[in-house]
Amino acid sequence: MKRRDFLKNTGLASSLFLVPSFVKAFEKIATEQLGFKRLVIIQLSGGNDGLNTVIPFRNDIYYKKRQDIAIPKSKIISLTDDLGFHESLLPLKQLYDQGYVSIINNVGYPNPDRSHFRSTDIWHTATDADKYATSGWLGRYLDQYGQHPFNAIEVDDSLSLALKGEINNGIATKNAALLFNSAREPYFKKILANQQDAHLSEHNLGYLYKTLIAAESSAKYIYETSKTFKSKQEYPQSPFAKQLKTTAEFINSGLDTKVFYTSLGGFDTHANQLNKQKQLLKVYAEGIESFVKDLKENDTFKDTLILTFSEFGRRVQQNAANGTDHGTANNVFIIGENLKQKGIYNGAPNLLKLDTNGDLIYEIDFRQIYATVLENWLGVDAKAILFEKSFKKLHFI
Amino acid sequence: MKAKHIQHLFWRAGFGIKPEALEIHSKKNRKKVVAELFEDSFNSNPLLIDTSELVSAYLNMDKSDKLAKQKLAKENRKKQLEFNSAWLKRLMTSKEMLREKMTLFWANHFVCQDNNIVYIQKYNNTLRKHALGNLNDFVKAISKETAMIRYLNTKQNRKSKPNENFARELLELFTLGTGNYTETDIKEAARAFTGYNHNLKGAFNFNKKQHDFKSKTFLGETGNFDGDAVIDIVLKQKACATFICEKIYRNFVNEIPNSEHINQMAQVFYPRYDIENLMQFVFNSDWFYEEINIGCLIKSPVELMVGMHNVVPFEFQNPKNAYYIQKLLNQVLLRPPNVAGWKGGRTWIDSNTILIRLKLPSILLNNAIIALEEKGEFEDSYQKYYAKMNTRKKTIKTTVDWNTFDKYFKTINISDMKDLLLVSPINKGTEDLLHQLTMDNKQEVCIQLMSLPEYQLC
Repeated sequence: MKRRDFLKNTGLASSLFLVPSFVKAFEKIATEQLGFKRLVIIQLSGGNDGLNTVIPFRNDIYYKKRQDIAIPKSKIISLTDDLGFHESLLPLKQLYDQGYVSIINNVGYPNPDRSHFRSTDIWHTATDADKYATSGWLGRYLDQYGQHPFNAIEVDDSLSLALKGEINNGIATKNAALLFNSAREPYFKKILANQQDAHLSEHNLGYLYKTLIAAESSAKYIYETSKTFKSKQEYPQSPFAKQLKTTAEFINSGLDTKVFYTSLGGFDTHANQLNKQKQLLKVYAEGIESFVKDLKENDTFKDTLILTFSEFGRRVQQNAANGTDHGTANNVFIIGENLKQKGIYNGAPNLLKLDTNGDLIYEIDFRQIYATVLENWLGVDAKAILFEKSFKKLHFI
Repeated sequence: MKAKHIQHLFWRAGFGIKPEALEIHSKKNRKKVVAELFEDSFNSNPLLIDTSELVSAYLNMDKSDKLAKQKLAKENRKKQLEFNSAWLKRLMTSKEMLREKMTLFWANHFVCQDNNIVYIQKYNNTLRKHALGNLNDFVKAISKETAMIRYLNTKQNRKSKPNENFARELLELFTLGTGNYTETDIKEAARAFTGYNHNLKGAFNFNKKQHDFKSKTFLGETGNFDGDAVIDIVLKQKACATFICEKIYRNFVNEIPNSEHINQMAQVFYPRYDIENLMQFVFNSDWFYEEINIGCLIKSPVELMVGMHNVVPFEFQNPKNAYYIQKLLNQVLLRPPNVAGWKGGRTWIDSNTILIRLKLPSILLNNAIIALEEKGEFEDSYQKYYAKMNTRKKTIKTTVDWNTFDKYFKTINISDMKDLLLVSPINKGTEDLLHQLTMDNKQEVCIQLMSLPEYQLC
């Protein structure tokens, strides 16, 4: 059975009888237009210390400024002559060796903001640091190319700004059954069963009804579709790995979702960083390892690109509490099967040339990465999504 | 005054109206009802929680003592939560309804955040004090508030190295709006605000050594301006009156600006900048009561919750629950997203929030379970970040005062309840549904009506 026929015969079809016809109109253009490429974004929330993740182990300044928290050479998994992984990233090293990883160093933006909230906002909205936007870059992608909330899913319980557009929004769920149950309220059903699209205005009331209808049908679609696939891959016991497992199930069940978003929290390591980061990177790398295996097993890895970022890196100079304070530029990981440039994408951070705060100076604007992903991976016009600004594309895909 | 108009007025000037008050007001004319709104809000009662221990601990702290610092930060966070619920409670119960509504509005205009409870509490009460006062005094007071001096880096604004952050937002977001000043005006204004600082207790402190006393040219005027002088010049611009009036119009009348009405407002507002006078003009205008302006705004999460409380009083057994709901619905009091504030309107609504918002009456009044988890904070450790997720199902525990509801609605017919609870026109299909539903229990009907998309509007 073809996937679309399958959908018609199962969950989505039954909901078509319940929802007004304007939703149906959307269904027709769904799958074909979007293609099959998927993007998975992972935010290391709190500000991961990039310098202790991809370590410049031949740099004396690194060891001098981090007397208590520098990673000793003996523990580093070397990648190149001067850069190496933190030991917790061993699973990632295996992917790296297969050519599945591209590491982009010194990613940031002009006039960096060191507040978690603000810097996360900047990464989510893709604005300049002194501008404010209320829509996220993936939300604006949805505005132009998506039809349903389920075209972008945050595998979590509430929706991040990144997935909110001016017109369309993604949907958040890390448990499709739970969301389905919450949308399946008999009272909502009754309200919706009584609506006709002719009565739904362009005004706020119409908007509320339309959002409810879209939420209901998305929740049903995600549940009915994703339950057809149960992952056979073993994952580590961590909430993050569980989110990745759910993401894999969403992908492998053939959900028509272009963007998945998830985050791993706990990276705000102001004190006693060593153990904390060691554990966190382990959780990250082991989760990714299972996730990639799962996708490969189901032949979906080739169509999936995984982007990992953090809202900022941390200061070069350690603090007195054996931790690090909020910094600026950081590394971004790109994971996928057909990368054009594998391994280390660009040079290691320059620890000699820091800004007045003693922070790294960015070399690549994160919006160059967004532009590259939008155009070369999702195949859309980046300018329209990035506030009509042109960013020089990179060549990792 | 027509019942429908009174409801409209009370939703915009506050958070809805109780049946009894509606009955009383409907015997008066508009002028009188509006006048009484302002009389009720004449007093400004500061919102205060006890911070004395924290203050003395802070003043006596040995700055090198890391443990003490951590403990204090923890205590501060606790107090922030306490102040958050105190504010929510104030909104739900205050007699000075209009003043509180205006305070909420100004908190989203002169946006500020501070993790120090003493400073943010002081700031919050400055908003309350000037909420219906004079804009000139208001802006000057804001510019000297410790929380603002910290939030927009006026503290770092020194003669030798000016920091433009406050000057920029003052012009762009607080008073004039883009297009009404140049980059040079920002630079010159920043120079005028050099030397602004505060002491540990949160009082304004002018550091003469850091102030640039030299001549500045700002918006076409030249002189040895200080911060107050710059604010005087800003308010001389008619553009400032128009900018504020448009914002008030979008928040209190209609999201879609009507330039004729806004110009009328600006005429009233300029040059005295009397906020009370301006709001009286709005609430007494015929256009305020036009059909097109009634029930057209999407309630903010706080308006939604406070409005429900106005009909059925309830109390959170655990203040953390109230905070959790604010978080799920994307409006945490005291935690604005950025200096531009909450955008409001349709941005409150997405696939996830719509489901929670429609279920809110059942969650708050009917012990429905909310099957969602809370995201951790940036600062949380890994364990703490995920600990918040471990409680699979959150029960929001509230104590619901149905007796008071029964008293309010004793003499009201069930069939009239929809007119009392909903101000927006009702969608045709839903109207039909309401006819089909069996309605014999007022409490149930109340929850049903509040669960309609129509109840999201005011």
